[in-house]
Amino acid sequence: MDTSSPSAFVNGALLRRFIGQKVRTVIQVTGSEIGSVVGKSTDDLQIVVRGSSPPSPLTTYLEVIGIAESDNAIRAETWTNFGNTFDTQNYNELCKLANGEFKHLFI
Amino acid sequence: MPVSLTPNAITAIHDGDVNLKPLLQVLEIKMIGRSQERSQERYRFLISDGVSAQHAMVAVQLNDRVKSGQFEKGSIVQLIDYICSDVKGRKLIVVLNMETIVQQSETIGNPTIFGETDTEAQKTFSGTGNIPPPNRVVFNEPMVQHSVNRAPPRGVNIQNQANNTPSFRPSVQPSYQPPASYRNHGPIMKNEAPARVIPIAALNPYQGRWAIKARVTAKGDIRRYNNAKGDGKVFSFDLLDYDGGEIRVTCFNALVDRFYDVTEVGKVYLISKGSLKPAQKNFNHLKNEWEIFLESTSTVELCPDEDGSIPKQQFSFRPISDIENAENNTILDVIGVVTSVNPSVPILRKNGMETHRRILNLKDESGKAVEVTLWGEFCNRDGRQLEEMVDSAFHPVLAIKAGKVSDFSGKSVGTISSTQLFINPDFPEAHKLRTWFDYGGKDTASFSISRDTMPGGVSRNEIRKNVSQIKEEGLGRSDKPDWITVKATISFIKTDSFCYTACPLMIGDKQCNKKVTRSGTNRWLCDRCNQESDECDYRYLLQVQIQDHTGLTWITAFQETGEEIMGCPAKKLYAMKYELEKEEEFAEIVRDRLFHQYMLKLKIKEESYGDEQRVKMTVVKVDKVNYTSESKYMLDLLVR
Repeated sequence: MDTSSPSAFVNGALLRRFIGQKVRTVIQVTGSEIGSVVGKSTDDLQIVVRGSSPPSPLTTYLEVIGIAESDNAIRAETWTNFGNTFDTQNYNELCKLANGEFKHLFI
Repeated sequence: MPVSLTPNAITAIHDGDVNLKPLLQVLEIKMIGRSQERSQERYRFLISDGVSAQHAMVAVQLNDRVKSGQFEKGSIVQLIDYICSDVKGRKLIVVLNMETIVQQSETIGNPTIFGETDTEAQKTFSGTGNIPPPNRVVFNEPMVQHSVNRAPPRGVNIQNQANNTPSFRPSVQPSYQPPASYRNHGPIMKNEAPARVIPIAALNPYQGRWAIKARVTAKGDIRRYNNAKGDGKVFSFDLLDYDGGEIRVTCFNALVDRFYDVTEVGKVYLISKGSLKPAQKNFNHLKNEWEIFLESTSTVELCPDEDGSIPKQQFSFRPISDIENAENNTILDVIGVVTSVNPSVPILRKNGMETHRRILNLKDESGKAVEVTLWGEFCNRDGRQLEEMVDSAFHPVLAIKAGKVSDFSGKSVGTISSTQLFINPDFPEAHKLRTWFDYGGKDTASFSISRDTMPGGVSRNEIRKNVSQIKEEGLGRSDKPDWITVKATISFIKTDSFCYTACPLMIGDKQCNKKVTRSGTNRWLCDRCNQESDECDYRYLLQVQIQDHTGLTWITAFQETGEEIMGCPAKKLYAMKYELEKEEEFAEIVRDRLFHQYMLKLKIKEESYGDEQRVKMTVVKVDKVNYTSESKYMLDLLVR
């Protein structure tokens, strides 16, 4: 397992704690333009993801791994379609636990 | 005005007069011990018309009034409902209802025990070797000596009578009341006339001949069973008569064929002959301590000219707030407005059969709401109708006859086989509820006496364990099997023997499935059916090793669950391995089935094989893991 460049699980609210660092999150796609995708985080905040070559077509849910640029923007390195059914509530809880009570278990 | 007893009343009762409503005096009250099989006490009165006295049994529904001292020695009473039946050649008066006219009085007249001079009857009685049970009424007791006081009591106001007997009606339809065609001519006394119609409340096991006229209020399906005595079938129906008496009628086997098609819910029948047995209270919720078992001599005849005097259905609705304090398994009637209906979901019953369940919510004027669980057929038939109504924003009134209270999670009401549902019924209670709901009740908040489902979509009657807990907690060692769910991965499947040869013959609507043995050339013999067949079925009997993060164990999977685990029918695998001898392909299929994770519902029970005790674990349901609900379940464990 590659541990040289870890990416933190984040939701919309946690993004600000990782500005300049590598993060991963899942958004529900609400719109896309050339070179950027706009979506809703699992805690209902808007996130703009920039970067080259998002997958086409996009499914409802999209995972992105990349660098947090601001408290609502990510520069994507990896895009992954997560399909049309995804339990955002569970994912949101995972983000909270991974940065809270069980932080020590995550790199 | 002094009270005078009705002259010759005892004789008149003996001759079958049930409309006389005589005034009689109670000379003696005696508690007859508890009868053999029922722990119900009964009272026996000695009643007198001033000349004759006769023992009379008092119906158990009057017990409370006897205990509270409403009737005492010397009381003058008016018999309102009563019958005189013929028990083994002797006359037995049973009092169903009576009122006290004068609480206390000196003994009137000089009564002697009725029938004292009937030496013939005495002979038959004392001459037999059969000693009657102690609780049986004994007529020929020595003459009772009472102090005689002919002076009538003073200051008695007979006008009380009207107030003391608030409402009574003739309990027996006089139209069907042939006179008893026998007199005490000789030692053999047999009444050849058709049995007289009596109220259901008066039925008891000591009557030989009786008839009741009643409406069928509910009818069960034919159930098939298989026990040590062999296969059989049974069905029962419930009756209600003019006086509100109710009783269940059950019949078996050939009688099912005879009576099942005859009986129809809502129609009135004359039913005669049959034996009375104590009601099985765990299945029978009717207010009667007896149940009728029909016999080959029984008759069930339709009364085409019934006039609607027998009610269609008898309800005693309880407000939902009452259910909160009702005991588990109580059977009751409830009426309310349906506020929501959940979809029907398949449920695996403990016996491995699948059924359906649908939950709906009911509220009433008590300010409380309750969950109602519909099972089986109710889900589709009535459940769908209710769902469509609620979906179209109409909230129907639902009356539930004979629902069962469950205390599993808060309190809820479930259907049982004899439950009946009435959607938007034409009852006064229903109209009252409708008005309440439409004019405000709709918007009032009702507190639910049922608890909501557990988080994570885990069915609330599911007990989750891990593999090591099965051993640690000694599951299966108690009287009843344990039913648990484990999330586990299949790590090994035994393949040297994975199925058995099963009997393909049908027993009723089910396949026999017992193991068959080869007899002669390619014939298969079933011990149970005692028949041979050309072919046999192959059914799974699969030994599977499962494993989770705590340990591993062996479980057994039969046909349905086996097929779920193997992904194809046993017959196909058998043919592949033994007939086509494609060992490689077979091994590949088995390998492919390993290391899948499932939710496995297990039945765990310790069984003894010879001296050895072995905990047997059978998988009754195999489900793929639902990751969403499983994540929720684990999150819930974390935050707890």
